[in-house]
Amino acid sequence: MKMDITEDDGVVKVGLMGRLDTPGVDAVETRFTAAVVPRAARAVVDLSGVEFIGSLGLRMFITIARALNRRNGRMILYAPQPFVAQVFETASLGDIIPVKPDATSAVAAAKA
Amino acid sequence: MAGAPTESSPRIDLRLAATRQGFAAGFDELRRGLDALPLDARARFSVELIFEEVVANLVRHGTRTDAPTTTLSLEVVLRDDAVQLTFLDDGVPFDPRSRPDPAPATDLEHAEVGGRGLMLIRSVSRTLEYARTPEGQNRLSVAVTRDATSGPRMSDGARSGV
Repeated sequence: MKMDITEDDGVVKVGLMGRLDTPGVDAVETRFTAAVVPRAARAVVDLSGVEFIGSLGLRMFITIARALNRRNGRMILYAPQPFVAQVFETASLGDIIPVKPDATSAVAAAKA
Repeated sequence: MAGAPTESSPRIDLRLAATRQGFAAGFDELRRGLDALPLDARARFSVELIFEEVVANLVRHGTRTDAPTTTLSLEVVLRDDAVQLTFLDDGVPFDPRSRPDPAPATDLEHAEVGGRGLMLIRSVSRTLEYARTPEGQNRLSVAVTRDATSGPRMSDGARSGV
């Protein structure tokens, strides 16, 4: 599991690549949290490189999004692969963690 | 059961310790085995999702404290229109059919953080059967629908076994 973090015009972009199974979440969760939560980031997360996600990955996103929400930050996900998107839909998380189709709409939502 | 076995009944058999290390090694072994099976992408994702949720749940919640190790075996059998997964573990008794889904989340502050693993298993399963065996093991059988017309072609490697 790889993770890239960049910042542009006040928005932190997190690129995740690989598998968000249990070993994958173990590999990135601490760094991911440390990169966005303390600074109350407006963060967008590129999911286009994520091939797999399970419930532990969902738990990670809920935990980080909630921590950001409490600090007046926010997290927007975008560009999930079809089966990953299906997992989000099954878990009915779309209402509490926005999932956008592309980077442009995700950044706009993060800045709104 | 989910239909008759295919002509050559390609299959995967693996066994792992219910630890994080055993989980990671077992997942790698499963994925190598799946590489050799003619599965469509949706069925493959579903098989991996079920493995992730079943094994993660066992490692986190199902290991026994009165035994030195908890082990799990998995049999994956390819049938005409389905993939049949049979998990057998010697952990604490656990019937996944008995657990309700978490309440739908209305806002971040009140969303349940966990509890979605069983929901995900149910969402990709055609059938889900559980029994506690006379030997004191959990036996979970899950069938995943397979689209035999859209998956990769049966390779010589798959026919020769995994």
